[in-house]
Amino acid sequence: MPTWLFAIFALMAFIVPAHAEDIAEKATLCASCHGENGVPIDQTIPVIWGQNAGYLYVELRDFKRGARTDPIMSQMATGLSREDMMALAEYFSKKPWPNLGQKPADAATAERAQVIANSAQCSQCHLAGFLGASLVPRVSDQNHDYLLATLRAIRSGERGNNNWMTELMKAYSDQDMAALAAYLAGL
Amino acid sequence: MLLGNGMRVGLGATAALALGTCLATGALADETSNATLFGNMTAVSQDMLNRAGQDANNFLMTHGDYTQKRYFPNRQINTMNVRHLHPAWIFQTEVKETLETAPIIVNGVMYVTTAFDHVYALDARTGAEIWHYKQPLGPITVYCCGPNNRGVAVDGGMVYLATLDAKLVALDAKTGKVAWQSDIADPELGYSETMAPTAVDGKILIGTNGGEYGIRGFVKAFDAKTGKLLWTFNTIPENTVGEWATKDATGQDLHRDIAAEKAALAKLGDPFKKLGGGVWQNPSVDLANRRIYFVVGNPSPDLDGAPRPGDNLYTDSLVSVDLDTGKYVCHFQYIPHDVWDLDAVSATVLVDAKDQNGALVPAVLHAGKTGFVYVNDRKDCHLIRFSEAMVPQENMYALPTASPGTRMLPGANGGVEWSAMAVDPTLNLTYALNLHQPMHYSVKMADYPGGDKLWLGGAFTVIPEEEQWGNVTAVDYNTGKIRWQVKTPQPMIGGILATAGGLVFTGESNGFFKAYDSATGAELWRFQAGAGVNAPPSGYTVEGKEFIVVGAGGNAQVDSKRGNNIIAFTLD
Repeated sequence: MPTWLFAIFALMAFIVPAHAEDIAEKATLCASCHGENGVPIDQTIPVIWGQNAGYLYVELRDFKRGARTDPIMSQMATGLSREDMMALAEYFSKKPWPNLGQKPADAATAERAQVIANSAQCSQCHLAGFLGASLVPRVSDQNHDYLLATLRAIRSGERGNNNWMTELMKAYSDQDMAALAAYLAGL
Repeated sequence: MLLGNGMRVGLGATAALALGTCLATGALADETSNATLFGNMTAVSQDMLNRAGQDANNFLMTHGDYTQKRYFPNRQINTMNVRHLHPAWIFQTEVKETLETAPIIVNGVMYVTTAFDHVYALDARTGAEIWHYKQPLGPITVYCCGPNNRGVAVDGGMVYLATLDAKLVALDAKTGKVAWQSDIADPELGYSETMAPTAVDGKILIGTNGGEYGIRGFVKAFDAKTGKLLWTFNTIPENTVGEWATKDATGQDLHRDIAAEKAALAKLGDPFKKLGGGVWQNPSVDLANRRIYFVVGNPSPDLDGAPRPGDNLYTDSLVSVDLDTGKYVCHFQYIPHDVWDLDAVSATVLVDAKDQNGALVPAVLHAGKTGFVYVNDRKDCHLIRFSEAMVPQENMYALPTASPGTRMLPGANGGVEWSAMAVDPTLNLTYALNLHQPMHYSVKMADYPGGDKLWLGGAFTVIPEEEQWGNVTAVDYNTGKIRWQVKTPQPMIGGILATAGGLVFTGESNGFFKAYDSATGAELWRFQAGAGVNAPPSGYTVEGKEFIVVGAGGNAQVDSKRGNNIIAFTLD
């Protein structure tokens, strides 16, 4: 286990029900992975600064319920109350989305991604610019490696807390997903 | 009065000229408009609402009047002069996202809404902003098909808004201040609102979204003055089994396995608690008989029929209830046990139509995602006729299969989606907007995931290799025959307006807003709005000048280019 991971598990012991005044303090724990300035410590970890509050809340809730699993996040969410989760979601949603410096996809990749997005009707939920709202996540300018891994995990059912997305993603190949991830990351 | 973002612009006008004109017209801001035919000019009376269809000055309801014909009776703008139509002003809202608002105009004041539940009151002559209200939405709002809002209702001195987080809000029409707010339902259970309310006889009528989230649908009536709930009609009764119908309204086989469904019913019981049945569009109101007519949307989960044996009443149905009590009157189901999301969405329209014997009877029209226009008798809801198919129907009612699924036409968006029809009663024609979007339908069993997640029981995907397009279709509702049809380069979604000037106005996803000859379908005028025109137009008259107004903000469902413009057109 890397040292930073050990440190996080150690810190989890200190999670207690949150109050408005100490949300910022609790959020410092999140920064261990999601970044002190909103830029995650590696590309497999999602940006949560500026993410939509409803989505952040539901994901925390699903980690707690076991509907979504992750070695760190499942543990992290265990001690959180609904109020904690709502407060954390609200806190991070109000932060500015960080500049990850990801490059736009090339024209051919973008074109392929747009055809897939039209086929899957992504815009119905993720909206213009793939910014989402409320329960639907922003996926534009999200970390590339996280996006690609997530698309695949949704398709396989490994990430199974949205069965509609799992069924939808089955229609698309690895190449389609590579194009989508590159396109979205570069928006 | 604030000038806000409103700009009066002429053809070729510079920004400086536009600003100058705007300031010059500011002097008119406090003058009283004498343009109304009915009412006391300070508030909307029930008499005005009752006669809205004959009011050539105001546009008082989402679909024109209680019959929902969307027929504007002014003929100042007509087939002879429409080629001179040009923008009078453009108002830019704060929200650049899917725009489905039907502008409401009362005595020279216009009310429009945007995605995420903003409401604007504008000077209908100039586009100058009078007030702006933004609903503070809670963190949990569900929207299956875009965070849309289709407009407000007006009654007395109030403006009524239904919100994404399932609240009904009454605003003071003069100031935009909240008078009262009532909970319609729990947004965390999948209930949300995108439709405009309907105001009638002191009641505010409202349906609900949520057929994609396992809700139990309803239409509710609230007291217009207090916000108190008056009655609720559950669109899903406690016995939803029906007649085990094996065919749809047009006689086509639905390929149901009735034996398997009966076995499932014995095991699971009636699925009414989470069977869906949203109501997406305003009811039409038959004032003479004190009845309302509306259509009920799809069952939940959309594509998987296994957990919901039976006909799934009253999903995919025309339903009539008593206006005063909310009690059931009659229903007619277009598609029993729907597993394609080919539900009933577009608003009903009341007309007098010929029955099978050629006698004129009170009838109700509905345009289905199936691509048919259905004509039903208002007396008992029975089907009089259905139209020729307006779009290709291929492999109709083939059952969804495991991914990648079954190809079938129409796709799950239609045919006709929520787009409102218009009717020219002088021609016996109804005008419908259609999509041609070939899709794959796949099914996958899934447990109810909780009300804040989509519960579709599968997926529908647009087939990337196939061409998509749309059309505007005029159907003779006395015969069911297509009178004329115009193909459009993209699937059509939004709405249409007919006028006494012999015109129909409608917009396209590519930004074109067009006027057609309502008798022939000849294109007479077009304007490029710079963003998808996917909203129903309205007509109004101020100080003797007729205007046509429409929103150009694009649409989430067909992903057309977004914008934030309300554009009013007039003649010099």
